[in-house]
Amino acid sequence: MRLCKELGKVMLVAGLGLLAGFSPWHAMAAVQVDQLGRQVNVPAAPQRLVTMAASLTEIVFALGLGSRVVGVEQFSDYPPAARALPKVGSYKLPDVERIVALQPGLCLAIKDGNPPHVLERLRGLGIAVYVVDPRNLPGVIATVEEIGNLLGADDQARELAAALNRRYQRVKDLAGQVAHHPRVFFQIGISPIVSAGSHTFLDELITTAGGLNLAAGNVPYPRFSQEQILALQPEVIIITSMDRGGAFEQVKAGWERWETMPAARNHRIFLVDSDLVDRPAPRLLDGLEMLFRLIHPELAGELP
Amino acid sequence: MTPPAVLVKHLQVSYGRQPVLRDLSIEVPEGAFFIIIGPNSSGKTTLLRAIAGAVKPQQGQVEIWGALVSHFSKKALARIVAVVPQRVATDIPFTVREVVLMGRSPHVGWMGLEQPRDLELAEEAMTFTNVAHLAQRPLPELSGGELQRVIIARAICQQPRLLLLDEPTAALDPAHQINLMDLMAQLQQERGLTVVMVSHDLNLAAMYGEQLLLLKEGKTVQSGRPADVLTYELLEQAYGCPVLLDTNPLGQVPRITLVPKRFLGPPFLIHEARRK
Amino acid sequence: MSWSSLSLGRRWLWVILVGGLLLTLSLALGMCLGSTPAGWRRNLAALLGRSEPRDILTTIIWRIRWPRALMAGLVGATLSLGGLVFQALLRNPLADPYILGVSGGSAVGAILGLLAGLAPFPGVALLAFLGSMGTLLLVLVITTGEPGGRKGSLLLSGVMVNAFCSAVIIFLVSITQDVRLHNMLYWLMGDLSMSSPDHVTLLIYLLAPCFLVILCLARPLNLLLMGEETALYLGLNVAVTSRVLLIVTSLMVSLAVGQSGLVGFVGLVVPHLFRLLLGPDHRLLIPACLLGGGSYLILCDLVSRVLSSQGEMPVGVITAMVGAPLFVLLLMRSR
Repeated sequence: MRLCKELGKVMLVAGLGLLAGFSPWHAMAAVQVDQLGRQVNVPAAPQRLVTMAASLTEIVFALGLGSRVVGVEQFSDYPPAARALPKVGSYKLPDVERIVALQPGLCLAIKDGNPPHVLERLRGLGIAVYVVDPRNLPGVIATVEEIGNLLGADDQARELAAALNRRYQRVKDLAGQVAHHPRVFFQIGISPIVSAGSHTFLDELITTAGGLNLAAGNVPYPRFSQEQILALQPEVIIITSMDRGGAFEQVKAGWERWETMPAARNHRIFLVDSDLVDRPAPRLLDGLEMLFRLIHPELAGELP
Repeated sequence: MTPPAVLVKHLQVSYGRQPVLRDLSIEVPEGAFFIIIGPNSSGKTTLLRAIAGAVKPQQGQVEIWGALVSHFSKKALARIVAVVPQRVATDIPFTVREVVLMGRSPHVGWMGLEQPRDLELAEEAMTFTNVAHLAQRPLPELSGGELQRVIIARAICQQPRLLLLDEPTAALDPAHQINLMDLMAQLQQERGLTVVMVSHDLNLAAMYGEQLLLLKEGKTVQSGRPADVLTYELLEQAYGCPVLLDTNPLGQVPRITLVPKRFLGPPFLIHEARRK
Repeated sequence: MSWSSLSLGRRWLWVILVGGLLLTLSLALGMCLGSTPAGWRRNLAALLGRSEPRDILTTIIWRIRWPRALMAGLVGATLSLGGLVFQALLRNPLADPYILGVSGGSAVGAILGLLAGLAPFPGVALLAFLGSMGTLLLVLVITTGEPGGRKGSLLLSGVMVNAFCSAVIIFLVSITQDVRLHNMLYWLMGDLSMSSPDHVTLLIYLLAPCFLVILCLARPLNLLLMGEETALYLGLNVAVTSRVLLIVTSLMVSLAVGQSGLVGFVGLVVPHLFRLLLGPDHRLLIPACLLGGGSYLILCDLVSRVLSSQGEMPVGVITAMVGAPLFVLLLMRSR
């Protein structure tokens, strides 16, 4: 009985404490609207950030605000400084307890990946959650600027966004000058063979870099059999896979058997770091430039 | 004039398309020791099950003290009729006392809480059947004879008016067989129970039964006093093997002897005996 | 004074006492341990409501861990009780609460829900529940009008329905390429992290009547163990009682599975454990399974949350790793 009463009191105090507690720490909270259209109560210059996706970690660090981050998603491995920070679970399975324990001023979340019901729980516990949803490369650059402004670092945001835009434009211009768009097959994963269809980042990167994505189509991640790929006669095969190491050599050798395939004949089978083309973060531009060099090696020198 | 304990009228029971009991009508008077005999698959067990309400007949009806069996709720029926089946599951390690107390199920409330009276009755029943010293023993550790007596104790706990037993002496050694039959007789005489038993042992049936019923292929061959039912013609007709009949030296009851092959045919006396 | 010399009433009291203690302890541990450990002093203070007003530990303990522990307790109790009832009903020691098609149906429903991108609650949980009710109905229809051998045909129909559903599930899993695959696999393993602790009160309201019904049917369960014919002769309406037990048990297991996915080895092992300790009387086994089974899953869930620094793993992994060897041990002991 006593415990219940104590419990009731505690819950009340804790609840009020959480609500009231934020104010002395953060002056002048403002209501912002995140990329899902939700209203979020964000402090003016939020400290104690928790990033719930590796891409968001990269963005915050790229803006030079890494010192404000108190918790990162489990797979945040770039920049190296992020690896030392406390982990808050994976982006598919965030650890609510750890996040709450870190007492964040703001949580940055991403729509494609973080489970909505977990974000609801965090909101229910009084934590501000700002959700972004970058869909394409321009969207990523805009998100970078938006997050920078949100965090009160307007100058850094503007500079970084401008730099990213310059690089983006450069590749677009160069690619626009080339008449021939090589046929590119982008292989994700070794078994089964999956590629990226239209409306994915990969498709956009390939197309912007002046290639022809052979997997373009309505299915976002279509599956291919070896036959189908051979029939498509790709000129460039790019493989990205979580399994590094010896497996790639085997796969490459597997493709090189087919001498009728242009990509095999010309030895244009490459392995790339999936992080550069997967994560909606500034390094996507690195990925873009890298793809451009692979697809149009003759113009590689034009890039800085 | 009290109604008979069991009245079966034109009973027909089939398992699927196979008829097991055909147009069977019998009457068991109250307080009788009624023994059913007959070859295998003559429907003896099925008849017992029909009386116990465990099997629904295709035709005909069974009445217990004038009331239709089908009209009873299972619980109400269990307060009047107790069954000692042929085989009992022995793999569950309930203790003897727990098993005997299950006999009080038709009498306890729906929450199943046992009252002191129930515990007393269980003790009494265990003493009566001489298994009281085994009260804490789990079922799997009992011998055949002990198990049989425990089940009878359970049946006694139901405080029934009618006791049905299916070949209770089948797996017992001679001492236990006699023991059990005496127990039945005691129950019948001291407590006024009506006992209906299926037996494969013709001599025991002869010695203990007041009324016998000889069944073959689901039909009555003969029913009545032992002397009327146990004749060599009827037995040979029912069982299909030669038997030798004389009078049991212990009393006025028939004694049945089965005849090995080597005694058949001339020049043996067997033919003369049969001509009697 | 040995266990067997105690009266049933006394034994029941002991079971409640020890079980209750175990449950309380498990709940306390479940609330004090997690991915953000704190000293025992702070934990005790938070439990008793005496911590600093702004101590975040209070929030963590009471708003995150407490509902989760409660959920684990409920699911564990339900699954243990479900296994107990089915083992008696089917007279089969290998029966678990999923055996009559519940696992197949609920999995198909849940996977469809996850494919459609529904939220765990109410979307996926509801579809899982409907799926298992569907397979239950199927099994009941298949086995209607089976006079003898009812148990046999129930078991067989259940196994067949489960097998068919497995095929459907494998098909659905194979055509899923993306992130939802992860969710599906976790659900199939049994995972309490996707449960909705905010709705644990609703679950209590729904499960309590089921527990009560089964508690009242403790004696009939004893009789059923002795054989259907024997139970009939002792006055039990076997047909009605069996149906009631089947439906109520399937209902409550479906409700639990909707929250936690298919947590295995709880419904199989816990009843055997208590049968070995307490004997076959269901009047003792039912409270034991409720309290003990609940504690078991709370502790397993605790282990799943703190074991790996990589983050929690599905609780089904822990129950399998603990339960399978435990089962073998029990089997050897019972010889």
